[in-house]
Amino acid sequence: MAETTQAPPPGGPKLPDFASIKKAVVDSQVWRSMFRGGVWKDTPRDRAAHVIGNVWLHLHPVRVRKRALEWTYSWGLGGISFLLFLILTVTGVLLMFYYRPTVDLAYRDMKDLEFAVTLGKLMRNMHRWSAQAMVVFVILHMVRVFLTGAYKKPREFNWGVGVLLLTLTLFLSFTGYLLPWDQLAMWAVTVGTNMAGATPFLGNEGPFGTMMGMRINNDVRFTLLGGTMVGENTLVRFYVLHCVAVPLLVGVLLIVHFWRVRKDSFSAAPRDPGEEKAEVWPHLITREYIAAAGCMVAILLWSVLMNAPLEVMANPNVTPNPSKAPWYFVGLQELLVYFDPWIAGVMLPNLIIVGLMAIPYLDINPKGVGQYAWGERKFANVLFLLGVAMWFILIYIGYYCRGPNFAWYWPWESWLTQKAAPPFTWNLFGPDPQWRMLVGHDPQWKVLVDPPVANVSVLPIWLGLPVIGGGFALAMALPKLVQKEIKSGLAHVLFFGAMALLVVLLHFAVKVPFSQGLWLPFFGYLAFYFGFLLPQRHIRSLEWTRYLITMFFVVSMMGVLVKMGARLGFNIKYLLTLPAVSLNI
Amino acid sequence: MTDPISPSSQPPSKPAAPSPAKPSGEPISRRDFLWLGWSALVAFLGTGAAATARFFFPNVIYEPSQKFNAGPAKSFGLGVDLRWLNEQRVWIIRTDKGFYALWARCTHLGCTPNWFGDQGRFRCPCHGSNYTVEGDVIAGPAPRPLWRPAIELTSTGDLMIDKAVLQDLPGLREKEPFFLTYNG
Repeated sequence: MAETTQAPPPGGPKLPDFASIKKAVVDSQVWRSMFRGGVWKDTPRDRAAHVIGNVWLHLHPVRVRKRALEWTYSWGLGGISFLLFLILTVTGVLLMFYYRPTVDLAYRDMKDLEFAVTLGKLMRNMHRWSAQAMVVFVILHMVRVFLTGAYKKPREFNWGVGVLLLTLTLFLSFTGYLLPWDQLAMWAVTVGTNMAGATPFLGNEGPFGTMMGMRINNDVRFTLLGGTMVGENTLVRFYVLHCVAVPLLVGVLLIVHFWRVRKDSFSAAPRDPGEEKAEVWPHLITREYIAAAGCMVAILLWSVLMNAPLEVMANPNVTPNPSKAPWYFVGLQELLVYFDPWIAGVMLPNLIIVGLMAIPYLDINPKGVGQYAWGERKFANVLFLLGVAMWFILIYIGYYCRGPNFAWYWPWESWLTQKAAPPFTWNLFGPDPQWRMLVGHDPQWKVLVDPPVANVSVLPIWLGLPVIGGGFALAMALPKLVQKEIKSGLAHVLFFGAMALLVVLLHFAVKVPFSQGLWLPFFGYLAFYFGFLLPQRHIRSLEWTRYLITMFFVVSMMGVLVKMGARLGFNIKYLLTLPAVSLNI
Repeated sequence: MTDPISPSSQPPSKPAAPSPAKPSGEPISRRDFLWLGWSALVAFLGTGAAATARFFFPNVIYEPSQKFNAGPAKSFGLGVDLRWLNEQRVWIIRTDKGFYALWARCTHLGCTPNWFGDQGRFRCPCHGSNYTVEGDVIAGPAPRPLWRPAIELTSTGDLMIDKAVLQDLPGLREKEPFFLTYNG
């Protein structure tokens, strides 16, 4: 025991002296063996040694660029995402102590966690709300990195790792919500795994699937489910994926992600002459601590006040009406209304992932790196934000505008109102074309207003393939082929003039009501402005390879809008259908 | 060559043969050895990946039988009968000519639609597909008609329904065993 040097206070009982106790503890061999570095004098050397000598802190550099510390630059979004991942790990491990992944027990264990386990409800609430918050913060982090151009050379690869981490965040959510074995779990996973069954070539219901010999018990869906229906095997598979396999993969990618961030010295902005760095301890560490503490408090409060939803026990034969995915997948669910599953469920998500990863290799604009730069990179910002906005508008529609039978109900309409059954749908190009329905003996184009029969195709396939393929190629090439910049005002006048003419013509020639005809200029203008005018103005001088790849993604995005308009406005089910090979576009 | 470990230290003045023949006494040349080694590694990793993928296909699955006895045929009235929906996920439809059954699995993404007698439609709660009482798609995203399971009459007058035998093609689905002629 170290001797106290101070004399005891005169005339009182011997009280423990805090300073001396602290000194005794800190000077003890045990303490010094854990925390090295001798007496803390708060010199720059001490502060550097603190970061270097600590395994948890040494992921940080010793000194960091001052601009990377500004709240208004990074908003701490990446760090908060990581904190949420840590909360999820801890609460998830705790939940595992009381949860058994079997069909008979899973739902009962959820109920026990809610009502019988001390703090079980709080842990489950924290786990659920942190998961949803993580989805939000990872998306916000991606938007921030995009807007500050921080993915540009030499950071392309780390952006790709980040996109994978976003995908895995969503996949973790997806695998997680089967585990409660309630109705939400059952039907979200039934729908999700059936989308895998629509994979081209590899799924038994996908295009060319039967041609490849895919059946219900040997395709990619079968491996996901471990059977032909969501059941015991599926629950165990998702449990292992959720608790072990995917978190491990996320951990590996996080290490790469953080290492690269550090190696690329945090802020992407070009260096100012004479720029000074700030010490990580205490400047960065305190900021991280404040963000973490704030988040922790917010999640705790939210979890005390709001209970995580738990529906009735899963019933594989009865679907709730309406049945909706968790909010971050409702956009995807809404897309599935307009597209065949192999497009909405397989092609579009993959295109989004690949397209996001391709961005740093396509956007070689050297301006706007490391700062919010609206004017210098208008095209990139506008199209990226359009994509994000479309995702959230789809979520809004799916969440607030869909009622029983997934019919369209405005948010202010009661779900008890009886809605008329939706009209018949028809196809543009397909087998056995009934072109008479489009231009035939009847003075009105029947299919455009009210198809007399369901699923009729009006134009032949041999025409459809070149028209759709050629139209897509033309839309890709056209902005670059017009070499001179198109005057915006003139283009708008011409576009809306042509649209007005078309709507009036459709109204008087074939009795298409104006309310229906107005869908044309609405979706048409979105596609015209974002898919033609904007690329024509901004990227027509890009070299052909990058230009064509960029335009492929842009035109695909416009294709989504066009197809939505065709369905909402004119009840077109497929632009092209080849039932023999299950190929529907 | 004095240093066998670093062949790159070979002096450039000595022109190397384009493809060095194996030195006398060696069973295999260095280049061929590396080729063999790398090929073996790639083959090993490829086989390992394929085997791991195969691992995820279970050989035995424990799922309920798809065949069930739906009760006496004479207990069914005309129209769509929902009595087996919750347990077996089928609708049994009796027309004036006989019986057919529909598997209540939406062909879009596998939800269970609801029957709306007033509209004469099955409507799916997940993405809004609509079917006629025959099972044909008339609205919404479903790509093909509802499946019809095989339906038979037992000697005791019961309906036997087998969901493992399915048909959805017009022309075939109106024939045995997917349609049961009955006028009892």
